[in-house]
Amino acid sequence: MNINRIATIAGLLIIALWPLVVHDVFYQRVGALVLLAAISASAWNLIGGYGGQVSVGHVVYFGAGAYASLIVFTRWGWPPLAGAPIGVAVSLALAALVGTPTFRLRGHYFSMATIAAAELVRILASNWDVTGAAVGLMGPPVPRSVWDFSFTSPVPYHYLFLAVLLLLLWLTWLMQRSKMGFYLAAIRGGDRAARSLGVPVLRYKLYALLLSASFTSLAGTLYAVMVGFVDPESGLGILLSVKMVIIAALGGAGTLFGPLVGAVILVPLEEATNAMFGGGGTGITFIVYGAIILFVARFQPGGMAVIWRALTSRRKNRAA
Amino acid sequence: MILLQVVVSGLLMGAVYALFSSGLTLIWGMMNVVNFAHGDFVMLAMYAAFYAFTLWHLGPIFFVPGAAALLFVLGVVVYLGLVRHVARGPMLAQILGTFGLALVLRYSAFWAFSANFVSLPENLVGGTIDISGIRIEASKLLGGAVALVITLGMHLVLTRTMLGSRVLAVAEDRNAAMLMGIRPDRMQALAWGVGAATTGIAGALIALFFYISPTVGESLSLIAFVVVCLGGFGSVPGALVAGLAIGVIQALSAYLIGAVYQDVLVYSLFLAVLWVRPQGLLGKL
Amino acid sequence: MLLEATAVVMEFGSFRAVNGASLTVTEGDIVGLIGPNGAGKSTFFNCVAGDLTPTSGTIRFKGHDVTRATPEQHARLGMARSFQVPVTFEDMSVAENVMVGAFLRHGHRNAARRVADEILAFCGLDTLANARAGSLGTPGRKRLEIARALATEPQLLLLDEALAGLTPAEVRLAIDLVRKIQQRGITIVIVEHIMEVILSLTEHAVVFHQGKVIAEGPPRQVVDDPGVIAAYLGGSMKRVRTQIS
Ligand SMILES: Nc1ncnc2c1ncn2[C@@H]1O[C@H](COP(=O)(O)OP(=O)(O)OP(=O)(O)O)[C@@H](O)[C@H]1O
Ligand SMILES: [Mg+2]
Repeated sequence: MNINRIATIAGLLIIALWPLVVHDVFYQRVGALVLLAAISASAWNLIGGYGGQVSVGHVVYFGAGAYASLIVFTRWGWPPLAGAPIGVAVSLALAALVGTPTFRLRGHYFSMATIAAAELVRILASNWDVTGAAVGLMGPPVPRSVWDFSFTSPVPYHYLFLAVLLLLLWLTWLMQRSKMGFYLAAIRGGDRAARSLGVPVLRYKLYALLLSASFTSLAGTLYAVMVGFVDPESGLGILLSVKMVIIAALGGAGTLFGPLVGAVILVPLEEATNAMFGGGGTGITFIVYGAIILFVARFQPGGMAVIWRALTSRRKNRAA
Repeated sequence: MILLQVVVSGLLMGAVYALFSSGLTLIWGMMNVVNFAHGDFVMLAMYAAFYAFTLWHLGPIFFVPGAAALLFVLGVVVYLGLVRHVARGPMLAQILGTFGLALVLRYSAFWAFSANFVSLPENLVGGTIDISGIRIEASKLLGGAVALVITLGMHLVLTRTMLGSRVLAVAEDRNAAMLMGIRPDRMQALAWGVGAATTGIAGALIALFFYISPTVGESLSLIAFVVVCLGGFGSVPGALVAGLAIGVIQALSAYLIGAVYQDVLVYSLFLAVLWVRPQGLLGKL
Repeated sequence: MLLEATAVVMEFGSFRAVNGASLTVTEGDIVGLIGPNGAGKSTFFNCVAGDLTPTSGTIRFKGHDVTRATPEQHARLGMARSFQVPVTFEDMSVAENVMVGAFLRHGHRNAARRVADEILAFCGLDTLANARAGSLGTPGRKRLEIARALATEPQLLLLDEALAGLTPAEVRLAIDLVRKIQQRGITIVIVEHIMEVILSLTEHAVVFHQGKVIAEGPPRQVVDDPGVIAAYLGGSMKRVRTQIS
């Protein structure tokens, strides 16, 4: 059996058994947060990694999911999870509306447009009473039924997140092997050559964005369900977009497990600095995030995936 | 009358926008690389001015050139240590490289200078000048005037001098320039240094009348992008016109519909321009 | 008539890179397109392939008006091309590059892989199938571009200096490949500076100069045309002068 398969199975087993093995609630919570970050980074990866369109505005979709779930609760008293389809629908509409004109822009221009769009949405949400303006929205203070999915233990969240992540990774795997995966790789390699081979570039970018936006929105809903609170900073802040990009790029953008690996490294690091430095930890966390990503960009833009490949192939050569 | 007052202060603010944006447009036009840490460069210059004054009681005559020198060094170091390498890599690396830098600068400032807003004393430069009923703060007038002079100066250096033509030659065609005996790396390092230095001047000037905080760079970066985009990517005179326009638009929208919406208007304009004319409003294709 | 380009004009600002060029290509032909540097050959190709929309003029392919059609519509209709500067998908393997082309007519991965394998063997790239495209040298890339284009199963293939930068031995191999492609029933328009290639491959040559067709006919006859000789000399004189200044 090859080393990649062994590592994959071992890794997934550890993740699946994590909350049963560790009993400390802090570590269980970190496990759930890793999975949540992995979902949104893997969702970003569809368009940003596979499609090569570096969106720095994905927080819009995350926010749509998070706000939708708490809006359906505050307005109509629905369980927050019921907001998921609404969040996805809003995200799809936003993606189609914003994506179509933005995809004509290349490289940096695309990234800047996504930042501006996201900031625009954040400012508007900070001033709109439906979204709770600057104060934000709260979820159910005490669970009314199991449908509120509100638990004190992180364990149920862990398995809910894991299920969504596995679904997303399975879809990504299917996509990667299909015509769409090849077309996205071609688009990443060069629009012009791709089009000359009959690749409808805009259409495939849009497919990837729609899929990406849906799962990012789902991640937002899951976040709101777990935390029970969202405000403009925690639901629409630019740093959330940046985190998705950094996590995916550290692990390896455009690879199946890259975002998960990135989350496994960065989220515990973030929780550790937060725990160590208290409130002032946020600053340190982002210095660390920034430094890591600066070094990745400078020395190994392929992220951990490339390092892993180099390591394993060296082993193979030695064995041969 | 009040409207005129609003327009004038908008123009003054706009001149400073033009100055710190022309640093960005220079770098951009040169090598088609965006510096996402640009606003954080401005932030550093603001703190440099603040501490030069509070610690050593140095006035603007000292801290403006001081900030320029400091930022020049920063620009060259960032080019040689980071940008030179990522510019040849994939798009993701180019974007993440300067984004990472932005995070490091921003949160190091958070950590070093604390999150509190600070500002220089209001009447560091004169007080308020009254021209037939229109009140202009001397600090803003100074800022606007210096910004105008330097932006124009930069344009003249680029278009009228040997050095400028070498820089432009590298921007035009790196390989051809190399054949003519120009060293592209040196010219690009110089462009980064000069771009950052003008940003430093702008930062020190803004510090005279603007609050200073570690995160101020975030919104300034976005404003610089908007100015550069409206002015045509790489065009210094374009940045000047666009900077003035943005200053006025912000001032008017803040006055007419509320301060909260001034950025909504500016960002919407930015998106609209990117969508309709991706080459920039004043730029040629 | 497979391809009919009539009075094509392409302006960049006020500069006319193509200035009323016309070209007709009959099914089964190999047509050679020659002309000095900057004559507008690549620009003309870009217009024909839909990469650029001509300022005026019409382009008909298989009876359809494709003047304003997108490159992907051209590909679907059966027109494929190579680029003067090869653009391979560097991160993918050679076989995967070809599969991208094959997916145009075969939706399923296995079918695309079968087509790709056949084309790779046809182009003599089968031993490199699993190499990363980025690791190929210029001759390999040019061959890969041709293979990728063939995988779209075209009726017309536009080759823009697909043989430039090859050693004489490689050129001979490439000439054989182009012949084999023609024998598959694919019509070819080829831009080439090496006269040997034009003389040995084509029955019909078209000479471009300053965006216009200045001569056409059998290649041997065309190269002796005094107007063509003057264009080439003038062109090379100008080239020499720009290099000095
Ligand atoms: N996008 C463009 N914008 C402006 N000018 C262009 C553009 N593309 C080509 N040109 C100009 O059009 C003219 C024709 O160029 P083209 O590449 O078509 O020539 P060519 O015949 O293919 O030359 P070569 O043999 O060197 O490949 C040249 O002068 C070139 O500089
Ligand atoms: Mg050419």
